[in-house]
Amino acid sequence: MKRSRIVLYLLIITSVALLPFVAMAQDEVATEDVQIGFWDECPAPENLPETVSIGAIFGLSGPISVYGGSQSQAVELALTEINESGYLGEGVTLVAITEDSAGDGEQAIAAMTKLVEEDQVVAVLGPTLSTEAFSADPVAQENGTSVMGVSNTAIGITDMGDYVFRDSLPESSVIPGTIAQATTILGLERVGVLYGNDDDFTLSGYDVFVQALEDNNIEIIGEETFARGDVDFNPQLTSLIAGEPDALVVSALAAEAVQIITQARALGYEGPIIGGNGLNSPAVLEQSGEASNGVIVGAAWNIANPAPLSVEFAMNFEEAYEAAPDQFAAQAYTGAWLYATAIRCADSVDRTEIRDALAAIQDFPSPLGLFSFAEDRNPIHDPVVQIAQDGKFAVLGAEE
Amino acid sequence: MDTLLQQVVNAISLGAIYSLFALGYSLVFSILGVLNLAHSAIFMSGAFFGVLAVNQLGTPLWLAFILAMVGAGLLSVTLEFVAFRPLRRRNAPRIAQLISSIGAAILIVNIGQLIFLQQFGRTEAYFPRELVSLDPIIIESLSIRIAPIRMIIVVVSLLLTILMQYLVGRTQIGQHMRAVAFNQQTAALLGINVSRIFVFAFFLAGVFGGAAGMFYGVVFLNVTPFIGEDVALIGLTAIVLGGMGSIQGAVLGGYLVAGLQVISVVLGGSSYRNAVVFLLLFAILLVRPQGLLGQSESTRA
Amino acid sequence: MDALINGLIEILKPIGITEPVFQFMLVNAILGVSIYLTLYCGLFSLANAGFMAIGAYVGVILTQSFDLPLFGALLGGMIAAGLIAIPIGIPTLRLRDIYLAIATIGFGEIVRIMILNFDDFVGSILTLVQGERVRFTLIEGARGIKGIPKLTESWHLILFLLILMFFLTRLHHSRLGRAMTAIRQDEIAAASMGINVVYVKNVVFIMSAILAGAAGVFSGHLTRIVTPQAFGFDKTVDILAFAVLGGTSTWFGPIVGGLVLTALPESLRFLKEYRGVFTGLVLLVVIVYLPGGLINTTSWSKFIRRFTNRPESPPDENSGHSTTRAN
Repeated sequence: MKRSRIVLYLLIITSVALLPFVAMAQDEVATEDVQIGFWDECPAPENLPETVSIGAIFGLSGPISVYGGSQSQAVELALTEINESGYLGEGVTLVAITEDSAGDGEQAIAAMTKLVEEDQVVAVLGPTLSTEAFSADPVAQENGTSVMGVSNTAIGITDMGDYVFRDSLPESSVIPGTIAQATTILGLERVGVLYGNDDDFTLSGYDVFVQALEDNNIEIIGEETFARGDVDFNPQLTSLIAGEPDALVVSALAAEAVQIITQARALGYEGPIIGGNGLNSPAVLEQSGEASNGVIVGAAWNIANPAPLSVEFAMNFEEAYEAAPDQFAAQAYTGAWLYATAIRCADSVDRTEIRDALAAIQDFPSPLGLFSFAEDRNPIHDPVVQIAQDGKFAVLGAEE
Repeated sequence: MDTLLQQVVNAISLGAIYSLFALGYSLVFSILGVLNLAHSAIFMSGAFFGVLAVNQLGTPLWLAFILAMVGAGLLSVTLEFVAFRPLRRRNAPRIAQLISSIGAAILIVNIGQLIFLQQFGRTEAYFPRELVSLDPIIIESLSIRIAPIRMIIVVVSLLLTILMQYLVGRTQIGQHMRAVAFNQQTAALLGINVSRIFVFAFFLAGVFGGAAGMFYGVVFLNVTPFIGEDVALIGLTAIVLGGMGSIQGAVLGGYLVAGLQVISVVLGGSSYRNAVVFLLLFAILLVRPQGLLGQSESTRA
Repeated sequence: MDALINGLIEILKPIGITEPVFQFMLVNAILGVSIYLTLYCGLFSLANAGFMAIGAYVGVILTQSFDLPLFGALLGGMIAAGLIAIPIGIPTLRLRDIYLAIATIGFGEIVRIMILNFDDFVGSILTLVQGERVRFTLIEGARGIKGIPKLTESWHLILFLLILMFFLTRLHHSRLGRAMTAIRQDEIAAASMGINVVYVKNVVFIMSAILAGAAGVFSGHLTRIVTPQAFGFDKTVDILAFAVLGGTSTWFGPIVGGLVLTALPESLRFLKEYRGVFTGLVLLVVIVYLPGGLINTTSWSKFIRRFTNRPESPPDENSGHSTTRAN
């Protein structure tokens, strides 16, 4: 009974996932210039076995599953495309063994050990949280297996070793630019800061915000905190708004951001609200509606990005899963393509050769833009600073 | 100081949400003498049934409310049969029933995750934004702003308190409930169908929990399998502060917790606002374990 | 020793138990014993996650900032947890079942919030004293202390557990152990027999805290990062589940409970998204139908009888006493 239901469920998902690609495949021929991948730079590989396995560790249960779930979907999407297009050569299938870590460091370690030592995967994507990465990535490093964070934004992730990569821009590459640009355009002088202080992600965002505000000589007139799972921010917002700030700076995840934005507007605050990666989710715009006007986010990727590869990814994802992808999904999708490219260019399943090929990737065309790894295995690509207007994101200052 | 009034309004509207949650908690405790930690899962299920009705079935809001309340009520009765009755049968200590309720909560949240994935493709869902107006009522002279839905909740939670008081205090079934709470054997000797009273009490608590979850969902839009856990500890604190088993106590506790949190923010300590709440909880337990409005253990009924 | 452990893990690998999983199983077995001690004495205390956090942070700071070896950190973490247990235990242990549970949950939350804000708190005091803005960093709040070397080895844990088991068998035949049993059965009778109930309860509470602290030190040097998020209410519930699943009639129960409940989610990875439901179901079935836990013969025989000839069990069967109770 149970198993048959799982099978049925999987069948439905895969058929739904596959359908658009049958259609897309024909479209792609017409618009060759938007094809993702290193088709010309590396020749089609010849020495790969029939099945190449990569591992993926995402938070698929617990509160983190909102992010982990769409990451896992994005990886499936990428793999379908990679396999259908014959990117790794005729008859070679790239599969992902996906394990749940539930946002828990111990489970992330267990999952990483299983993937690297038992399943013998050639490389690993994930884990979802930075705190999990600090627990689990050393296991991959010790086993000489590449691990690529696709949503780890904390400081020091890639310092764990030469096999540790990430394609997620750390907050420190996004926020300073956001603040600098917002200061120039909006003439900020004094701001109020609201952040989650019991979460690694929102707290690292706060750290970088404070530094950036200091660098731009902006006065912080008040700092307030909240905790994960909070839904009512009126007390904190009332205090902050009373100081009449030029802008509110918010380091929060999507669910809290929606409440913060709507409640700030309901309290009569009309100025800009500046946020980092966490505010960059389609749900934020959808759920806060008109209240989102004037929300400024700096982020690695945004659904409004007009680049052809990005548009195509967003469209395919929506068709497959009936939900708009967020930035973490875009980064997971790109991560899977980056590994496929490393395997293609290495023409081998040797973990070290794949690592070297991965590190050598330069100017890879992806939904995130032209993507390269820096010397320290951190990502290099341009972040986007956007402002919400009438329920849509537009590039701030409209110069780029 | 013109934000002070606004902060009072904030505290009241936050307190209403807490006390709405605490009411159902308190009802089960007053009948069973057992902390039902699965109440947070019942709360979540109410919001879930509601969002399912509105989004997937397209029902109007009032019907969604009824579905949420009935659905949560039935789930609560199921819990009585699966997690509580077998333990009561063999006279298990009340701590065993508390543990059983934790187990039930874990199971429901896990099942919730599966159903969310099947229904919505991810572990969250949103009520449509247009469902209720979030435009605030502005009172210029006092410079305060009030969201109408939040005031509705304040009124509803007070009405429900009175209704529950009436039900337990003035009706025949309420008398039976109190008799069962006092002593099951004696109640049975008096010809009261004890099992039926338990089923009724659980159903009622489920209905209240479901309504609270539904309100929560409508106000904050976002529904996940974990929303119950987020309010569980605060709700627990509220009923302990107010007095376990006392219905007015639960409401008082809800406002007290909200008041403390808001005062901490006003004084510039938003990071410590929950620490303040738990410190007070600690202190109250040591000085007056039955809570502010609770009766002492031996006279509880 | 190493060869023995490696051989054992080779045997366990097919059911999903790799070396890290094995190590977490042992840590959780210690946690199971930690909560067992208080439960055995009739104390429904849920402070274990808080004491584990204290042990983990003190231990990690000792190895990272003071370059102590793991053994020194272990002692430090255990002493710190034990010392903090004294002022917490004296007032709270007077409370009865549910009230004690809630008070200790409150304690755990306060510990977590204190860790979150410790740096800011010290920073703002220093700012007041020195008159300029000072940024103090020691325990990093929610960012956690990162880059902790993996100092805990399997043999450390096995050795610790063996010593603990030896200690537990001795305890049961000691005066203290007999006093614990007496208090568990009837507190008032125990007091009238001349047992200093308050003293015994506090000693047990401190022992429980020391064990939780030790588990924290080991755990911090396994996960390589300690964050306050890891020691929330969820963790308390997990620890309680170890004791409940294994049963608290003997010290062997919570050890088995800790081992099984840690291994189970890993062994069940093939179930994918049904994994959590299955674990939850196992737990609930044991709570409801095996009240003495897995390690309890009377509860098993009742369980089997229930499904073989389905007797109409009268409600006032003597169960409350002979089968072990969870409190």
